[in-house]
Amino acid sequence: MAKGEAYQNRIELVQGTLDLLVLQTLLWGAQHGYGIAQAIRSGSGDVLQVETGSLYPALHRLEKQGWIKSEWRTTENKQRAKYYQLTAAGKKQLASEGERWRRVTAAIASLMEPRESGGAL
Amino acid sequence: MKWPLWGRRNRELEEEIRAHLAMAAHDRIERGETPESAEQGAQRQFGNVALVQETTREMWGWRWLERLWQDLRYGLRGMRRAPGFTAVAVASVALGIGANTAIFSLFDALMLKSLPVRDPGSLYLVGLGVDNPMESLSYRIVRALAERKEIFFGVAGFSRWIFPVGPSGAIRNTPGALVTGEFYETLGLQPAAGRLLMPADDEPGAAPVAVISDGYWERSFSRSPDALGKTIRIGGVPVTIVGVAPRGFTGANVGAVADISMAASTLPLIKPEAAALLGPGNVWLRALARLRGGISASQATARLATVWPGMAERVVSPTWPRDRQREIIDARFVLKPGGTGWTYLRQIYRRPLLVLLGVTGIVLLIACANVATLLLSRAAARQKEIAIRLAIGAARARIVRQLFTESALLAAAGGTIGIGLAWVLSLVLLNLVSSERLPVMFDLAPNGRVLAFTTTAAMATALLFGLAPALHGASAVIRRRSRILPTLVSVQVGLSLLLLIGAGLFEGTLRNLENVDPGFQREAVLLVDLEGRRNTVPRDLVETLLRVPGVIAASISTHTPLSGSTWSDPAVPAGQPLPKRDNAVFNGAGPGFLETMQIRLLAGRDFSEHDGPGSVQVAIVNEAYARRYFGNRDPVGQHLSAMVRGKAADLEIIGVTRNTVHSGLRVPPYPGIYVSYFQLQDDIPSTLEARVRGQLGQAAHAIREAVQAKLPESSVEVRALSEQVEATMTQERMLATLASGFSALALLLACVGLYGLLHYSVAQRTREIGIRMALGARQGGVIGMELGRAIRLVLAGIALGLPGVWIASRWVKSLLFGLAPTDPATIAGAALLLVIAALAAAYLPARGAARVDPMIALREE
Repeated sequence: MAKGEAYQNRIELVQGTLDLLVLQTLLWGAQHGYGIAQAIRSGSGDVLQVETGSLYPALHRLEKQGWIKSEWRTTENKQRAKYYQLTAAGKKQLASEGERWRRVTAAIASLMEPRESGGAL
Repeated sequence: MKWPLWGRRNRELEEEIRAHLAMAAHDRIERGETPESAEQGAQRQFGNVALVQETTREMWGWRWLERLWQDLRYGLRGMRRAPGFTAVAVASVALGIGANTAIFSLFDALMLKSLPVRDPGSLYLVGLGVDNPMESLSYRIVRALAERKEIFFGVAGFSRWIFPVGPSGAIRNTPGALVTGEFYETLGLQPAAGRLLMPADDEPGAAPVAVISDGYWERSFSRSPDALGKTIRIGGVPVTIVGVAPRGFTGANVGAVADISMAASTLPLIKPEAAALLGPGNVWLRALARLRGGISASQATARLATVWPGMAERVVSPTWPRDRQREIIDARFVLKPGGTGWTYLRQIYRRPLLVLLGVTGIVLLIACANVATLLLSRAAARQKEIAIRLAIGAARARIVRQLFTESALLAAAGGTIGIGLAWVLSLVLLNLVSSERLPVMFDLAPNGRVLAFTTTAAMATALLFGLAPALHGASAVIRRRSRILPTLVSVQVGLSLLLLIGAGLFEGTLRNLENVDPGFQREAVLLVDLEGRRNTVPRDLVETLLRVPGVIAASISTHTPLSGSTWSDPAVPAGQPLPKRDNAVFNGAGPGFLETMQIRLLAGRDFSEHDGPGSVQVAIVNEAYARRYFGNRDPVGQHLSAMVRGKAADLEIIGVTRNTVHSGLRVPPYPGIYVSYFQLQDDIPSTLEARVRGQLGQAAHAIREAVQAKLPESSVEVRALSEQVEATMTQERMLATLASGFSALALLLACVGLYGLLHYSVAQRTREIGIRMALGARQGGVIGMELGRAIRLVLAGIALGLPGVWIASRWVKSLLFGLAPTDPATIAGAALLLVIAALAAAYLPARGAARVDPMIALREE
């Protein structure tokens, strides 16, 4: 039903990509799950929508990996929420994975836009 | 169902999601939505909360444990819902595992358990011989070996010994051991109190001292330190207790508890008549050796081979015939792993215990088949439940795992109860092999090996009975007429047949042994073993006995049949050369021995009081001897040249008797010679025998009083000849009893299986039976039809079992007596019993079938 409609303005995220986006988002400071989802959506101009069914498993997975850590804090609206924060290992992971991501997207982009890459040769 | 340990984490996750929803709703309100619609919108956008929780929890990594917990809870609930099924299944497993564990723990105690000593793996049992090494060595050989310090760290000689402990008139026989001086040092033991025996204690003239076991310390001295230095009287001699052996160590003789241990060299003090044991001719000690560091067993035997001829000169007796000396000198030492100690029981019980392990293994298989049958029947009943679960999206693997968890639960419950059962059963078993004269004691507390065995058995059981039903159950559609169930029941029947035949064979063997004519009358004869040398036995002891009320005949002899000890020497008709080896079983008998034992005299006369030291040496031969050496001639009046206890003798034959058994009921009678007890001068053992009338217990009491009055320094114990005969059948009795018990159990399990199958099949075919009845089938016909099904299953089982009988026969052949392993009467009897039991088990469901009301049956669907 709503699926076809949703398909147009939303891109399903590959697992590794979501992890990368979460880490990237947290680079600007600690954030709770809802905030992360909002940040990714607005940061991508509403193109990337994060499913909660993927977000929370991703957060818990990253925490188990030791790339992020969590603590309970209170928001400005006095709402108790679980804040996630990058760890040193997480920063390292973000650096190496981000680099890889850039190489892969550049490669994909060069395949998708053959004239431009041809010019570069 | 959530994994309980994750309670905090679960709550946190819930709160995390609640916060998410609250923030989302808050944002929506800020954008102008009403609170209700904001909340609903946040919920909608979030999606399935439970699903998000579920997938998030999987990230924690302990999901499988949580699922297992779920399965366990589910399984336990299922078991509670079907208590009858659960009880039968758990009981089947418990009996199967209990039986196996009991036999295994006995096997373990006897064969596998290491002595509680330092580094038991590096101990070797020393044997000496040419082809068939003897495990018994003389005291001199053990001492000579202990001196070879370039080969041995130490050599521990030991032998079981019964010590008469206590003051005159109140003497109690206490089990113990005689050991050589290096015994404790070699085994590497530390005393629990005081000191242990040392080489100095085993020198001639050393003061008599004793080391007691921890158990004896507790029982007799309440662990008081005052026990050290105390004197106890042993054989009338004061002996000082110098120490207590470490807890758990009860001697190197497995199965025999040594409460008191003394040095062998003190033997002449505490039992002068046994002093000859220290001489060269008596082999009675077992020896455990610990090799010097860096020497392997093969190096040790090689070195022993080079030094032995030089040593041998000192340990053989110059009075022996040349051949015998040569034989000992030429013999070679053999070292066998000895970390498990030594016991004569191993030889006797190895094969029976292996057979029993096989038997209990089959019982366990039957139990498995039984539980599998039950589970399959239940799986059919749960078909609907499983179909629903599959329909709402349960993975097939998950359902297999679920069903399998239930099997594992049953196995675990059965196994736990089984361990308790095993403990009781092994005590019963021990009681079967233990007798008053030769008590057998084992520490049967379950050890790691036994528990590992039980766990493995339980897991294998779960796999065996759980796998088929699990796979079968998870296939959504169960075939109406599965072949698995009838096959399982037939397998049970076949295995039961095997056990029934085995039980029949062992019972038959026991019966045959009981029916062996021993050549004497075993009933109503009482025996008293005398301590003290032949010369110190009061001459009028037999007269004293004859005056005891109830005694109708009495005598004295050096040996009694089946006592476990025999005496053999060479003897041939005068004029022939003496053979190198002993060729006759001897017995020194007083006048009246033949009458007391009721051994029939075939020709000539019995010994009389005139056959004493001064007169012509006389002998009575048995039929076997007469036939072998005199053929058809009459031996009475002929002479024998013999070597009687190392002295050349000329014996005049005065009579011929019937054969009697000597060393065992299975052993055919051997040529035998009776010599006159009162013409023997040596230190020889003596036993009084009395044939009594009336109550055996009263007579025994009266005899004890009379003999004790004559021999205040001895422990007088009266026992019955019939018990002595019985004791030789202990092994057979144990096998027969256990095989019967286990086969009865197997039969019961098979019948339960058959009953279950038929009951289930009747329930399933209610409609079919109803139609038959509606069409005019009679009740009798329906019963007949159902019983016919049962008979077909049983016959199929018997056909399955018979080839097994043929295979198993090789295993039990050597344990049988007087019948072949394929004895047709036994096989037919077992099969008949099986058919009868099966019919009885099948009758109830068959009658149930006949009571099906056609109307109700047809309305049912």
